[in-house]
Amino acid sequence: MRVYTPLEVAGRNIYLREGCYACHSQMIRTLRDEVDRYGPYSLAVESSYDHPQLWGSKRTGPDLARLGNKYSDAWHVTHMNNPRDVVPESVMPAYRWLLRDQLKTEDLGDHLRAMRAVGVPYTDEQIQFAAQDAYGQANPDSPEASGVAERYGEATNIRTFDGRTGPLTDMDALVAYLQMLGTLTDVAHTSETAEVE
Amino acid sequence: MPFDHEAVVGFAKSFGLFYLLGLSAICLAWTYWPSNKKGFDEAAKMPVLEEEDRPWR
Amino acid sequence: MLADFTRGERTGALVILGTMVVLGLAMAIAGRHDLLGIHGWIVFGISLALTFGAIRQLDLPEPSPERLSEYYDAPTRTGLILTLIWGVVGMGAGFWVAALLAWPEMTFDVSWLSWGRLRPIHTSGVIFGFGGNALIATSLHVLQRTTRARLPDALSPWFVLIGYNLFCIIAASGYLMGLTQSKEYAEPEWYADIWLVVVWVVYFFIYMRTLARRKEPHIYVANWYYMAFILVVAILHIVNNLAVPVSFGSAKSYSLFAGVQDAMTQWWYGHNAVAFFLTAGFLGMMYYYLPKRAGRPIFSYRMSIISFWGITFMYMWAGSHHLHYTALPHWVQTLGMAFSVVLLVPSWASAGNALLTLNGAWHKVRDDAVLRFMALAAIFYGITTFEGSFMAIRAVNSLSHYTDWTVGHVHAGALGWVAMITFGSLYSLVPSMFKRERIYSQKLVEVHFWLALSGTVIYVFAMWNSGVIQGLMWRTYDETGTLSYSFIDSLVAMHPYYIARAFGGLLFLLGALTALFNVIMTIRMPAIGMAPEARGDLPAEPVMQAGE
Repeated sequence: MRVYTPLEVAGRNIYLREGCYACHSQMIRTLRDEVDRYGPYSLAVESSYDHPQLWGSKRTGPDLARLGNKYSDAWHVTHMNNPRDVVPESVMPAYRWLLRDQLKTEDLGDHLRAMRAVGVPYTDEQIQFAAQDAYGQANPDSPEASGVAERYGEATNIRTFDGRTGPLTDMDALVAYLQMLGTLTDVAHTSETAEVE
Repeated sequence: MPFDHEAVVGFAKSFGLFYLLGLSAICLAWTYWPSNKKGFDEAAKMPVLEEEDRPWR
Repeated sequence: MLADFTRGERTGALVILGTMVVLGLAMAIAGRHDLLGIHGWIVFGISLALTFGAIRQLDLPEPSPERLSEYYDAPTRTGLILTLIWGVVGMGAGFWVAALLAWPEMTFDVSWLSWGRLRPIHTSGVIFGFGGNALIATSLHVLQRTTRARLPDALSPWFVLIGYNLFCIIAASGYLMGLTQSKEYAEPEWYADIWLVVVWVVYFFIYMRTLARRKEPHIYVANWYYMAFILVVAILHIVNNLAVPVSFGSAKSYSLFAGVQDAMTQWWYGHNAVAFFLTAGFLGMMYYYLPKRAGRPIFSYRMSIISFWGITFMYMWAGSHHLHYTALPHWVQTLGMAFSVVLLVPSWASAGNALLTLNGAWHKVRDDAVLRFMALAAIFYGITTFEGSFMAIRAVNSLSHYTDWTVGHVHAGALGWVAMITFGSLYSLVPSMFKRERIYSQKLVEVHFWLALSGTVIYVFAMWNSGVIQGLMWRTYDETGTLSYSFIDSLVAMHPYYIARAFGGLLFLLGALTALFNVIMTIRMPAIGMAPEARGDLPAEPVMQAGE
């Protein structure tokens, strides 16, 4: 299990802020149709760094536990900007302000420190470079980008999530978070999965 | 005894059961204790009594 | 308000308000780069306005000693009005978010008008705003009448009422700005949570101090339920909200628990919020106002005790039925399921007790819409608890969980049970609390009753249908062994039910507006004892009876 990057933490906080958890679960149950629809069922370890968990209680929209890298970044940006542009029947709100609003990154180190206080194993270095890593993750050609892979692993998504380089938007953070969902560990895909009811 | 998952489960499955049975027995005994009946019958009338609507002190 | 305070209490009020002004200012300064600052200014502004109001009344004569020979009902009166105002706000937000699911374009590109931010305004507005104020207002009334003791002082009940509503305002305004812990029904952030603990402790001490002054040796059962509500909600609230703030200048915090432990804590909280906030407290209401209105003592006092202890013991263990088939250990799921099923016994004991109390007074239920509200509440309580135990069974839950069936179940309880018993108690309480001869219009109570009933039935049936259809569509396979429906197919199938649900909610909201109007007009009627010529232009005595 790797920990969330600062940009993913910021994206997760936007997910909370907009109340996404009220319509989307992040918990695939041990039922055949759920595994067929969404992927391997969720394991306890996969939410062990989630303070708080976002298992959810209602699926007005589909489960998101294994959403990561299922769709392109461009699809997510279009979908967030107006869901009915890509899914005509969708009832999800259009989150147009995500592309407009600048992401606040200067206090991300404090966020990581608070998460360390409740048990997430962030290193001093990760806390120190939090704001810089957030910028680097969404600007792959910038000098800041190399530190992200160094501190969070080569498998980390380092892309221009909202399609634009330079200053970060809320959209960058949210798409970075969504594209990571279900990819922090591959134990659910590799382990001998128990029988499904 | 180590304080791990198995120990907690064991405790919950043994003493938890006795605790619940014990509390149920105490509760039932108190409720149906014959000498308590009079007090309960009077208490039941409390909302419907049209006494003077004032505190006693 | 301050006219009821002694000199010492007035000083106390000023000290509290002064402290709050300072705290608000400190929050505003510490959180100047954060949304916390806005909440600081809200606290500062409200406290400052109250301080000025208090200073202006500071020189009023001290209350006469004769007041001690009467009950202290002023906080209850204000609480009843706040109940209705929050009810309209919360139900209005509920109607709006229901409509958004049918017509999502109504977000209008305004972040605070989006579904995810308005939804907690609905849930907190009805649970804490409407339900909480109703519980505080009625509990203070029931407490005094059943102990025959006046509240110990005038300051603490006002502190609880105003402090609690400040919490509700901070919560609701925070949601609009996107401040939420994301834990359902425990969304407010750390500073609001700490404030609520302070308010709640004072509330509990009011209860204890008044009980200590009681005349009757036996404590009437309604008070047990109210006390269980206060005590357990304090425990739940503190444990589930344990968190580490990012800094003292930040509204954001991170929950102490993570993953499976957090899920268990959250649904232990969530289900006991249903049990002790939305059930125990309102059972307290039922055990006092229903016998009182029917003019008959409760059918079996012993049964009310058994069901009290049954509910108190067993609800604590039922929370894990929210987590069937998840990563929660299997035996914990089974434990929650077992206790949820057994819970049917004490639940039906209470519902049956209420209905058996009415047995022999059915003519009153027929003629009196107020009593009919309470009778219907008891019926819905029975239906909902049966449904709840049923849905907690693992196999049933595999179909119902994550669907609108859960939403339908919750609203059968919230509209049918919680709101109906509240409206019934409120209508029976308002005339005597405001010293009016009667409610302004019995006809409007009748109108409200039928709006509430039809709204609830439409809502619940729409959600039962949509939930079961959703659950079945998600698990249907075709003959080749692949899933028959995409997720979006199931969403399209929901559209007519979402419109029906919004319509049901609208009827219920109109009922609440009727109640608000009726209560305002009642207060505007002349008080009992005023000369008849001073009564002015009032409608004739209500002559309509149900069934006419």
